[in-house]
Amino acid sequence: MDWTVVSRNMDFLLGGLGVTFQLAAISLAGGVLFGILLGLARISSKRCISCPATLYIHFFRSQPLILVIFWFYFFVPVLFGKPMGTFISAVIGFIAFEAAYFAEIIRGGIQSIPKGQVLAAYSTGMKYHQVMRYIVLPQALKNMLPALMTQSIVLFQDTSLAYVIGLREFLRRISLVDSREVRSIELYFFAALVYLVICLSMSLLVRRFEHKAHQSV
Amino acid sequence: MIEIKNVSLWLGDDFQVLKDVSARFQKGRTTVICGPSGSGKSSLLRCINRLERFQRGEIIVDGLSVQDPNTDIYKLRENIGMVFQHFDLYPHMTALDNITLAPQKVRGRSRKTAETKALQLLERVGIEDKANSFPAELSGGQQQRVAIARSLAMEPRIMLFDEPTSALDPEMIGEVLDVMIDLALEGMTMIVVTHEMGFAKKVAQEIIFMDHGEIVEAKNTGVFFTHPDHPRTRDFLNRILSHV
Repeated sequence: MDWTVVSRNMDFLLGGLGVTFQLAAISLAGGVLFGILLGLARISSKRCISCPATLYIHFFRSQPLILVIFWFYFFVPVLFGKPMGTFISAVIGFIAFEAAYFAEIIRGGIQSIPKGQVLAAYSTGMKYHQVMRYIVLPQALKNMLPALMTQSIVLFQDTSLAYVIGLREFLRRISLVDSREVRSIELYFFAALVYLVICLSMSLLVRRFEHKAHQSV
Repeated sequence: MIEIKNVSLWLGDDFQVLKDVSARFQKGRTTVICGPSGSGKSSLLRCINRLERFQRGEIIVDGLSVQDPNTDIYKLRENIGMVFQHFDLYPHMTALDNITLAPQKVRGRSRKTAETKALQLLERVGIEDKANSFPAELSGGQQQRVAIARSLAMEPRIMLFDEPTSALDPEMIGEVLDVMIDLALEGMTMIVVTHEMGFAKKVAQEIIFMDHGEIVEAKNTGVFFTHPDHPRTRDFLNRILSHV
């Protein structure tokens, strides 16, 4: 065992962790925003809106993430007419994929708000976007927070799959160091430890939120 | 002022909630609608401000047909206040914010103007000290009074009440009815779905009895109680008046 392999390459590995966090954060923000729109579209009473949204959600939920990442890697340059780099391709792939999952969480959250409040809001002359913005979403997002955060942890772990298109995020850099120094056991154990610390602290945070949400009901 | 012409409403394919219902409601008058549960009273109320869409007939409010695509239903709803059985206050906002939201967002009032008005309304319904309380901190009667203030804040010309006291503990019914009685005596146009016959006798000019989606009987209040025509009305009155 030679644990100095980790400290010798620490800067390089931490840089990778930075890429991982960036990818996760941007995908999360984009995924939630797109997910809200998709979730709202899914429960629309207009079929021309709900049908495409439902199809989209079913489609992406039935695909392996790795396939989606691969496919967008080839599709994004076609879409923009020029190479956009692996990071942008990965971000777009993740947003497209995760939005389908977030949409289902958001749909559940919205449907958990009693219909009476929505009718009451409409009866005062409010429009759809106002009812959503002031009445439904503030409450729904609070109810959904634990589920959203759990999905965010999954998203964080899933960013490692971007290694298939050569994005130099954390896990990719681990394997790059490994191929140079051949210290697989130490390096992958270190990687596991890093994921454990980050994800465990995130889920502890979720537990606290769940507890809080429970108390305020 | 409100005219309901031959309205029929189906929920799903074969469940008919309203059967060819026609009625007129005059400005400044209070009408009570009563009848057994499931008789279509609440649905009829919801058709008036298009919270429910009916399949046949027409409803005209202030000269506008509510289901006409050219009618600005949002504009129309600003003038029709509605109070619900389960209050349906917004639980994440204080009583004051519940009342000031629509005046600010719909009517474009400033926060200050809306709050001044809201405090006056809270005083009028007797709970000015609860402005900063959240709905969960209020009793049912207080919540319903906030809900009434929320509707009145839009300065509606018509008020619809959908069983406003039936979810309340008996000792709180009076405080809500008192607010409604004041409102009726001030000349508000009101349509009230309720079984509170004491309230009906006191302020309603007309009473409509509904059963199985039909209007069985519509009469002036005095005549309704003393000379109901229909056996179903008599039967209903006997049952609800006998235990008062």
